[in-house]
Amino acid sequence: MKPPLHIAAGAMGLAVRLARLSLRALHLGLLRVASLLVPGSRRAEWWREWHAELWQVRRACAYTGEFCWASEGEIAGFCMGAFQDAFCLWRLGRQSREPQAMPSRSMFMGSAWQCLLFLGVLLGASYAIALLLPGVRAERSLSQCLVRPGLVLIEDADNEDSPRTISSGQYRAWKDRKQEFFDGFAFYRVTQESVDRETAQEGSHGSAGWGVARASSNFFSLLGLPVRFRETDASVDADMPSVILSESLWKREFGANPHVAGSVVRVGLRRATITGVAPQGPWQLPGKVDAWLLEPDSQMVPGGEGYVVAHLTASGKSRMRTARIPIKSFSPNRSPDDLLGIALGNGTPGPWDVFRFAVFLAFLALPAVTSVSLGESSVSLHEISWPRRICRWGFLGVKIALLLPIAHFVSLDLGYGCTALNTNQVVYIELVSTFFICLFGMRWVLSDQRRRCPVCLRRVDHPARVGQLSRTFLAWNGIELMCMGGHSLLHVPSLPTSWFSTPRWLFLDPSWKFLFAGSARE
Amino acid sequence: MAPDRNSEAKLSHTAAMILQAIDAGFVYGFSIMEMTGLPSGTVYPAMRRLERDDLIRSQWERQSIADDEQRPPRKYYKLTAAGRATLQSSRKRYPLLERLIPIEEARSL
Repeated sequence: MKPPLHIAAGAMGLAVRLARLSLRALHLGLLRVASLLVPGSRRAEWWREWHAELWQVRRACAYTGEFCWASEGEIAGFCMGAFQDAFCLWRLGRQSREPQAMPSRSMFMGSAWQCLLFLGVLLGASYAIALLLPGVRAERSLSQCLVRPGLVLIEDADNEDSPRTISSGQYRAWKDRKQEFFDGFAFYRVTQESVDRETAQEGSHGSAGWGVARASSNFFSLLGLPVRFRETDASVDADMPSVILSESLWKREFGANPHVAGSVVRVGLRRATITGVAPQGPWQLPGKVDAWLLEPDSQMVPGGEGYVVAHLTASGKSRMRTARIPIKSFSPNRSPDDLLGIALGNGTPGPWDVFRFAVFLAFLALPAVTSVSLGESSVSLHEISWPRRICRWGFLGVKIALLLPIAHFVSLDLGYGCTALNTNQVVYIELVSTFFICLFGMRWVLSDQRRRCPVCLRRVDHPARVGQLSRTFLAWNGIELMCMGGHSLLHVPSLPTSWFSTPRWLFLDPSWKFLFAGSARE
Repeated sequence: MAPDRNSEAKLSHTAAMILQAIDAGFVYGFSIMEMTGLPSGTVYPAMRRLERDDLIRSQWERQSIADDEQRPPRKYYKLTAAGRATLQSSRKRYPLLERLIPIEEARSL
């Protein structure tokens, strides 16, 4: 059954109206997209003109009032032309901007800022790479766990059998007496203890055997080791001894719980509060320790044998020339004891030690690869104001200050870039790379400084050959370089002679200004 | 920017046609398109360049006039003195220009 005629005509009319609306939206959308190409300052006017013109086109194409695909195609074709117009305006805008952009770009090239930006980018890149390398991260975390310098472990030299322990009585006697070479002592002894964990909610957990170091309360402060999650809450019972967990035990037994501080454990027969976690560093003290039970000297078990760590005074450090030194002492009963002091600290040099040594070597070797003079004698300093001179030296200082961390981080990148290398190989690579980067980096820094205009610090450029080599002894020959700011000319002799051996600066007076129109002449 | 002498001699036929159309009184974009038969992608960019070279100048129609005629205001173009001089030299170069868009006929329209 066919639909009535008037219904079919109404549906058709609705479809036409919808198609016309959607095509209008499409045309306007085309114009909007094209307008994005037009420079912002001209976009509003451009849109207004094309909108008005579209109205004219639409009226001309649809004057019959009937929908016609050909007319709509013509309107769409007209709108497509907007893209060519917009692109033309974009190109014209770019052409009009270029004359202003060119001088600023040429002003930047060769300037002091360009040099500093280059070094800054290099530094940032090398630092970012160093942050990504797991070896560098591990080295950093270890360096934070090093014991403070000037610590010695005191052992009994007479006792050949291991362990060479010291009695707690002797420790107390040393501590109570005024010492010339030591300003602090700490004592610890390692025992296997049965430890019960208990909480307020769950009561007592099962017991476990820990290697517990019963240490004097000043143990960690003397070693200078940072303790994580240190409990400072006043509610902690002051009479209760505190326990510091080793990092491995904290992870194994407590699941690396950051809220472990404040928990109560029973060590043997005594209750103690966990007050922190010791970092996992290059632990060099004897004994396998899971936790440290810090107790005051008054509560220490008399007669126990343990280890003594002492901190040297300045005079003690001056005596400690080797890693091991014999110490003569007297026991409480006045009998002489032969003891041995073993320096504590990292056996292998750290990155910072390697870096300092390599920089020192590089500065020593620098005169062998370049002249350390900046050619100041050839600069008539009366031409340069004091602020400019300070800027010049400041620029040199900043370049060196940027070069040194670049050398440090690049050497770390090279050393730790290959994970298959052992520690000694890494140290060797760091040493060699830091040395060469500093040596040739400083050579570049100095030669760059010598080629910079003393007034504006811009690199002199446009080398021009002047004179003839055959007339060296009658007239000078060499290369002339020009400061693009119009401040100076640099004469570099081809063959140094007794009267012209080093490069010379010639300062240009204002009469030269017309040659440098549009330049940065001040 | 002032036009240089070379630009007068090197004016393209399209640009010369547009100048001729404007001189004949077809003073907004669509009317120039209709008169010359050139597509919008040619006419409008050419007019931008002619305006950049100070051969033509544009001016918006007053809003009141547009409102009276119930349409959006038009952007009208007219020749500058330099544009008129350039058109004169172009007519010598393209002798058929005046026959393509005769001024008298256009004014009668």
